[in-house]
Amino acid sequence: MITLTHFLVVSACIFCIGLYTVLSKKNAIMILVGIELMINAAILNFVAFGKYDKVSYGGQIFALFAIVLAAAAVAVGLALVLNVYRHYKTINPDEINELKDK
Amino acid sequence: MAGKRDQSGIISLIGIACSFISGGLTWLAIWNHPTVSAEINWFTIGASTFKVGILLNNLSALMLLLVPTVALPVHIYSRAYMKGDPGIHRYWMYLSLFCFAMLGLVVMDSLLLMYIFWELVGFASYLLIGFWFTRETAVQANKKAFIVNRIGDLGFLIGLAIIFTQFKTLNLIDLFGETGLIYQSAVTNGQWVSPVNSMDQIWLTIAGLAFFLAAMAKSAQFPLHVWLPDAMEGPTSVSSLIHAATMVAAGVFLLATVFPLFNESALLFIAIIGTITAASAAYFALGQYDIKRILAFSTISQLGFMMVGIGIGTWDAALFHLVTHAFFKCLLFLSAGAIIHEMAHLKTHSHLDFDPQDLRNMGGLKKYMPKTFILMSVASLALAGFPLTSGYLSKDSIVISSFEWALSKGDFYLIIPVSLIVISILTAFYIGRLIFKAFLGDFRIMDQVKDKLHGAPLHEASKTMLIPMFILGICCLFPLFSLNPVSYHDSWLMDGLLLDEYTFAPCHSAHLIIPLILLIGSIISWVVGWKWYVQHTYSLNTNSLALKAAFNQGYINELYQWIFVDGTLKIARFCYWFDRYVVDSLVAFIQFIVLSLSRLSVWIDKYIVDGFVNAVASVAYWTGNQVRLVQNGKLQTALYSVFLFVLLGLIYLIFF
Repeated sequence: MITLTHFLVVSACIFCIGLYTVLSKKNAIMILVGIELMINAAILNFVAFGKYDKVSYGGQIFALFAIVLAAAAVAVGLALVLNVYRHYKTINPDEINELKDK
Repeated sequence: MAGKRDQSGIISLIGIACSFISGGLTWLAIWNHPTVSAEINWFTIGASTFKVGILLNNLSALMLLLVPTVALPVHIYSRAYMKGDPGIHRYWMYLSLFCFAMLGLVVMDSLLLMYIFWELVGFASYLLIGFWFTRETAVQANKKAFIVNRIGDLGFLIGLAIIFTQFKTLNLIDLFGETGLIYQSAVTNGQWVSPVNSMDQIWLTIAGLAFFLAAMAKSAQFPLHVWLPDAMEGPTSVSSLIHAATMVAAGVFLLATVFPLFNESALLFIAIIGTITAASAAYFALGQYDIKRILAFSTISQLGFMMVGIGIGTWDAALFHLVTHAFFKCLLFLSAGAIIHEMAHLKTHSHLDFDPQDLRNMGGLKKYMPKTFILMSVASLALAGFPLTSGYLSKDSIVISSFEWALSKGDFYLIIPVSLIVISILTAFYIGRLIFKAFLGDFRIMDQVKDKLHGAPLHEASKTMLIPMFILGICCLFPLFSLNPVSYHDSWLMDGLLLDEYTFAPCHSAHLIIPLILLIGSIISWVVGWKWYVQHTYSLNTNSLALKAAFNQGYINELYQWIFVDGTLKIARFCYWFDRYVVDSLVAFIQFIVLSLSRLSVWIDKYIVDGFVNAVASVAYWTGNQVRLVQNGKLQTALYSVFLFVLLGLIYLIFF
């Protein structure tokens, strides 16, 4: 049988892949992809736990809202990346380091 | 009048004259009268109090009379003898110091004070022997005299210590008086028991021998006699006073004072040493050519006689001989001084270079110095013990007593009186040799001096010298000492010195035979001497080994030089070598070790201690450097750090 644990493990794997992508990719767009993956993992978690709320389908509803918010966040993120590209002429996060202490 | 301008010695003369007068008055008051003494406290150490005081009994009164009586003529004589000497002010000073010390020595009532004056007398002798200190020989001689005397002082100190331990007092009356502590002590069961202490009986002998050691050094007994012949470096008047009449007699005086202390063994030792001294000195005198050396050895020999007198128990005879010896020996030296004075004059006038003291340069002086000749002959007769002189009485008293003593002890002891008889005959011979060679015959260096001067080569001594000599000459004859010229027992001196009876029986035949033997022996020796020295028929080999040994004083000086002087130098050189090569290398080795340790220490400090500190610092630096990398301004680094901390927090919450 596919138990809750299976869902959670898959969700965790997707989250870790997303986290790894955020931390190691040298392309800002790929960072957004990673964020998206992490959000999606969280959404999968919601859906997995939704099986315990057959009354008001809380998990399912929250998942729908999260998908919309994920899309909105990525839209804002893309706008940020565009502005950064305009200034730095690159979207390699390693070269966007003017926040460091001199 | 004072200091360097006092050339005339008038202060010393007046001083010694006062001593003479007061000595005479004291003698009159004390002789055969009760003893007088007085003392005051000097200092206290712990429970013992040491006192200072004066004791006047027959013995000290006699010495108080003798010393100024001999010193006064010497002072007068010195005025002429030392005239013109650049150091004469020192001479009077030292001479007065000596007389003070000697007179002090004889009146003290405590052994401690006697010791102080004993040393002072030795010191005055040192100063006077080295009077002409610019001469190397004089400096060596006075050093030798002082050092040898010091050995005797050691003996005196040891004796003092033993007596103080045993009796807790050093007062002469308490110790040696008629009811003294000595008489209250006895040797029982191998212990010397006194009223306040007791110790093993060997200490009684040791105490006696210690005091005898003191007398051996001061009175020039064998083997510590070596300083006296060298002491002739001093002026002749000094030799006559100190080294003939008074200082050397101090040893005999000491032994007479502590006489009750001696037991059988100590007395026998004294007698043996006295005989050896008398014999060896007489032998050495036979081979000497220096006039003063002959007299010096004669003094040593006569002192040996006195020691024998003490050793056999007849210390009154020894003191009798001391007194008569003082007069005739002093006269002998003064006459020798007159001769030397004249010979030195001849030397300066003729600009020749000869030894004014050498007998081989003299001869026939009877013609030029008749009065000196007569006086010296009288003194020589007294020395030889010819009848009608004082020396006859005193010397015979010792020889005869020694014969009686030997008879009472056993036939083996007859060696001592027989030796004494032989020595007396030798004495007559060597003094006869002196007179013959100096005064009779022809003046040996006449050929050398003949054309250098006009008139007689020598003159008679001046009146200032002759009159003291004349006074002493009178004292060499018998009437001063006894109205009976043949028996010494009638002498007032012997009567007064309180020895009721001897430990041995008298032998009346000896009283006749021994003087006869001595007289005949002396006459024979003079006949032989006349033949050899006046008629020049000398039959012995001058270069024989025996005569050479006599001239070189038995090579004893060379032996002492080899043992003590060279020995000490060798030890000193060894000590230097040891210090330089052993001690210094030890120090260098320790230094090397310390330096190496310190270098090791430096290395440890530099590489290990500092290295450790540096390592810690490096670790901190590296850690910091690594952590610093977080702050590189990269977005993903920051995100990474956040993730890390969240993870750590989760682990903490889940597992702890």
